[in-house]
Amino acid sequence: MIEISGLHKTFNANTVNEVHALKGISVAIAPGDFITLIGTNGSGKSTLLNAVAGSFLPDQGKIIIDTEDVTAKKDFQRAKFMSRVFQNPFMGTATQMTIAENLHIAYLRDQESLPRIRLDKARCEAYREAVKALEMQMEDRLDNIIGSLSGGQRQALTLLMAVLRRPKVLLLDEHTAALDPKSANQVIRLTQNFVEQGNLTTLMVTHSMQQALQVGNRTIMMNKGEIIDDISLKEKQRLTASDLLDKFADLRKSERLTDEMLEELRREYI
Amino acid sequence: MELWVGALNLGFLYAFMTMGVFITFRIHDFPDITVDGSFTSGAAATAVLIAAGFNPPAALLAGMLIGMAAGAVTAWIHARLDINGLLAGILVMTGLYSVNLHVMGRSNIPLLNQATLFTWMQKINPGMHAEIWISCVLCVILAVFWLGMSLFFRTDLGLSMRATGNNPVMAAANGVNVNRMKIFGIALANGFVGLSGGLVAQYQGFADIGMGIGSVVIGLASVIIGESILRKPSIHVKVIGVIIGSVVFRWMIAFALYVGMNPIDLKLLTAGFVLATLVISGAVGKPESAKMTWAERFKAAISHNRMMIAVGGIVILAISIPGIRALLTHRPDAGKIHRIGIVQIVDHSMLNVTRDAFLEEMNRIGYQSGKNCLFQVENANGDMSSVNTILDKFLADRMDVIVPISTGCTQAAMHKIKDQPIVFATVANPFIIDAGRSDTDHLPNVTGVYGSVPMDKVLEMVRQVRKGKIRIGSIWDAGQVNSVYNVEQLKQVVQQDADVVFVGATVTGSSEVFQAAQSLAQQQIDMFVLAPDNIVYSALDSVIKVSESKKIPMVITDVERLSDGALCALGYDYATSGIQAAHLVDRILKGESPGSIPFEKYSRLTIGVNLRAARQMGIAIPSELLDRTTVIIAEDGKVVQKKELIHKAVQAKRLALFQFGDNELMNQAAHGVLDELKVQGVMETYPLRIDRKNAQNEFYMAQSIAQEIVSQNYDYIVTLSTPALQVTAQVNKLIPHIFGAVTDPYRMGIAKTQQDHIPNITGVATFQPVEKTIQVMREIFPRARRIGIVWNPAEACSEACTYKARDEVGKQGFELVEVNVSSTSEVMDAVRSLLTRGVDLFLTSGDNTVNMAFNSVAALLRERRIPYFSNSFSDVERGGFIAVGADYEEVGRETARMAARVISGEDVGRIPINNYLPEKMYVNRMLAKEYGMELPEAFLNRAAKIR
Ligand SMILES: Nc1ncnc2c1ncn2[C@@H]1O[C@H](COP(=O)(O)OP(=O)(O)OP(=O)(O)O)[C@@H](O)[C@H]1O
Ligand SMILES: [Mg+2]
Repeated sequence: MIEISGLHKTFNANTVNEVHALKGISVAIAPGDFITLIGTNGSGKSTLLNAVAGSFLPDQGKIIIDTEDVTAKKDFQRAKFMSRVFQNPFMGTATQMTIAENLHIAYLRDQESLPRIRLDKARCEAYREAVKALEMQMEDRLDNIIGSLSGGQRQALTLLMAVLRRPKVLLLDEHTAALDPKSANQVIRLTQNFVEQGNLTTLMVTHSMQQALQVGNRTIMMNKGEIIDDISLKEKQRLTASDLLDKFADLRKSERLTDEMLEELRREYI
Repeated sequence: MELWVGALNLGFLYAFMTMGVFITFRIHDFPDITVDGSFTSGAAATAVLIAAGFNPPAALLAGMLIGMAAGAVTAWIHARLDINGLLAGILVMTGLYSVNLHVMGRSNIPLLNQATLFTWMQKINPGMHAEIWISCVLCVILAVFWLGMSLFFRTDLGLSMRATGNNPVMAAANGVNVNRMKIFGIALANGFVGLSGGLVAQYQGFADIGMGIGSVVIGLASVIIGESILRKPSIHVKVIGVIIGSVVFRWMIAFALYVGMNPIDLKLLTAGFVLATLVISGAVGKPESAKMTWAERFKAAISHNRMMIAVGGIVILAISIPGIRALLTHRPDAGKIHRIGIVQIVDHSMLNVTRDAFLEEMNRIGYQSGKNCLFQVENANGDMSSVNTILDKFLADRMDVIVPISTGCTQAAMHKIKDQPIVFATVANPFIIDAGRSDTDHLPNVTGVYGSVPMDKVLEMVRQVRKGKIRIGSIWDAGQVNSVYNVEQLKQVVQQDADVVFVGATVTGSSEVFQAAQSLAQQQIDMFVLAPDNIVYSALDSVIKVSESKKIPMVITDVERLSDGALCALGYDYATSGIQAAHLVDRILKGESPGSIPFEKYSRLTIGVNLRAARQMGIAIPSELLDRTTVIIAEDGKVVQKKELIHKAVQAKRLALFQFGDNELMNQAAHGVLDELKVQGVMETYPLRIDRKNAQNEFYMAQSIAQEIVSQNYDYIVTLSTPALQVTAQVNKLIPHIFGAVTDPYRMGIAKTQQDHIPNITGVATFQPVEKTIQVMREIFPRARRIGIVWNPAEACSEACTYKARDEVGKQGFELVEVNVSSTSEVMDAVRSLLTRGVDLFLTSGDNTVNMAFNSVAALLRERRIPYFSNSFSDVERGGFIAVGADYEEVGRETARMAARVISGEDVGRIPINNYLPEKMYVNRMLAKEYGMELPEAFLNRAAKIR
């Protein structure tokens, strides 16, 4: 479904702030893969997701989605078949518009916005049903503006908006990190349901070892803009959190991790 | 009333602009300054096309399209070239200035004689007042607009647009092409702004290059006002909020004018208001504040924006001080302020004369409204129950003295008020309404001036006109005590004359008067003799109709109504009633008790004869009667008054002196007007009050002022400067209007020739003596070659002068080197660039932009020894070399002389426009010495002044 080859990205090239954020990433993702992406801070996880989403154009390399080369396409063009949920619950919705209106914007994802009114009673009813399934007590508040919702509610809604038109690719960037544990669990559960139901090809960045192992069928670990490990479903089922840490330790031995990084990973994931 | 309706209409027209600002600022969160330029663009395109003969809707569409184009360019620069939005707006706005000038071809396009949407509207006017009809039509249009916009914002496109503005990241993530949407939204917004400009141009009757300045602030203020009035977040409420905000903003301006606040303070106040609202809404607008109480919100607002609030507070305080002071001037130093309530029953010339004379006399003896005294003048418009409401209001407002004018009002006042001084005026007989038993023995809180028309004198006059046996007919309202009293008096005197027969008819309302007059005519009367009666006199036209058709002459007791068609009139001069009442009020305010002040009778009689009516009826007026008359209506309808009575008989007239802005020349002209009006003696001969108005160089302010002048029904308008003339000419169709300090009224459509002008407008046209100046240049500098000129193409006057200069330089063998500027800050650079191009002489002519930088220009030229010529007399005082100029003070004087002719009764339509150029030369000899040249004696002798 997704084929990334030789992807490079350098920010602020030729300045003191130069960062080589992606160093030749190549990875092939099969249809229906649910990948969890882990790694230290600044290892390039978000940058990889942004590259796939089209937030910027890569310096080198290619991105092919469903046999189509999208490397040169703009983000809003890719958004026709790809959707994303951000870490910040404020990012994914238009806060001054109502729940129904936001869902309608998501509904228009792969269509032209023409000057005609299609947000009618029937559509609202459909949205109410969809919102009801979130079990977030939002079904009676369809006409409330997003500004009046809690972070968990917003994130659940953004997720719903992302899967409303069944995208080819779903990108999730630590979308539960800003939530309280209870909401976070709820949103993760919803994520699993949606991905399963839609058989969606998904990339999910997480900082929870637990999540990384329990969710999805493949885990990719990044470091310093490179993929340093790719763990298959079989392997994942065997591994425990401490196994994973051991894996980190092995990586250190092979000199792909420094002591500090190992320390940081321990802190981050346990 | 008209003031508020006019403001409402402006509010409606500006609502489109406000919608544009709403879309940019609120929907797109894009501070778009383009609006200032695209407003003018819309106006320019519309005006040019209308002037070229296109039909108004097509022209308006073009205005909208040019606005859209402007907006699209701004958004494109911002989105595609990734330039800060504010900067992109400023760039486009600046560029539009030149574009607009090119589109217009000159700085000002008049539409006075063109068919506009508004003249179209008046064609289908079913008979309403023009402004009210416009309101009705605009109301419908805006209702449609409201509906349309509310629906638009709910369409897929509208929703995507709102999402883009609200959260561009989210919009892009959901497949919206953010850049394209921005370009579309900003273009649409500026389209509305252009539309608004096109509408306003048609409404005010011209487009001017400067008319868009300040639009962003007005629009933003309106949006914020709308939001603070309607707080619901739903989109259709927001859209109507935009319209309401725009109207309320206009009303605020109208109100400020109404209470006499200086418009300059109002502008600062607006700025402060917007700032304050932004500060507060900035904090409370945060999403987490949704559940906060108001106290918490306020606290949050303060803690979030401590700095801004402090600054804003200081600004607002500084700004509001003059405003507060303006309000306070209505009630200065408490304690010394006297409150006087005046109530009259109906608009009736006799009562109006009393009222105006009263106010005038109060003013004369030192009670100045707004300074040491507050006059509240109320009119019950013929409704007795309103009189009571008014009296209640007076009581609630703690009036010191209440002055009821007319018998009915006095009766009501005495009935209601027992412990407050009452001074009545123009009451026929206070004794029949139980005000007292004699002049000295009366109610303790009541005194006043009375007098009934002496019916014996009226009959005497009748007998002078018609000798022998006659039947006289009289009409009166039996329900009014004073009417009955007057008629009884008449009957008594008739009884003493065996040759006179009295025929009477009573009415119960003004609608019956016509029938009563007809029935009297059928009873073969020879003459109508009408005793004082408010109802009958309010329907005097009905009697006149019968009188004229049946050739029955009419004798009345109100000289003011003589010109309506009566044959002769004998009555009291009601001005004396008001004047005497003023002195009684004065005594009471100084501490006397009304109970101890005897009732006064008014004594001065006036007799009037209408020679035109006499001729029509074929009646010869005997000379002994003519000798006694004080007022004669001549055969051509002109009112001739005998000198000694003019002062008392003419009511106080009001003149509005309206100047567009404050600058040296305008102020000189204004000074000339004021001084010459005094010199001409009109101030004394006619009680004349002059109110000065100043638009502070703002077009939107000028419109409101013009509306206010018309709605306040001023008797005369004098305007100084071209824009003041233009805005006023558009709204004023009736009031005599004399203009001055205008370069070219012919180009503006005010007139075709000196004689052929708009009937109610005439004035003084003053072209600049450009040719003369250049001739003088040649005379003194026979070897000079190049003349440098700096001018602003946006100034109509400057433009005209430069064209003239271009023509004249050739004849004199000069070459003209031109540099254009658009603002004062550019002037110095322009002059420097001229200097590098080697000019021998420098000329500036009627250009306000250059004039503003005069001192530094003069200093620089002096240093470089370039002689500086100009057309403004005062320039030499400030360092110019030679000025051949119109003496604007003298122009003001000529304007005043023309005004004086109008005030003393001449018909404006017959006074030709005066092309008046009081040319004077002023020479700076000191500079001549510096240049090392000796000016010939003959030349110096021609100068009016030498420095
Ligand atoms: N737009 C940008 N401009 C400049 N540098 C950037 C930009 N985006 C990312 N970077 C840099 O690229 C590197 C990778 O950042 P990225 O956000 O992908 O890390 P991450 O793995 O998502 O980290 P975290 O776990 O903290 O979210 C970092 O050093 C970051 O500072
Ligand atoms: Mg990240």
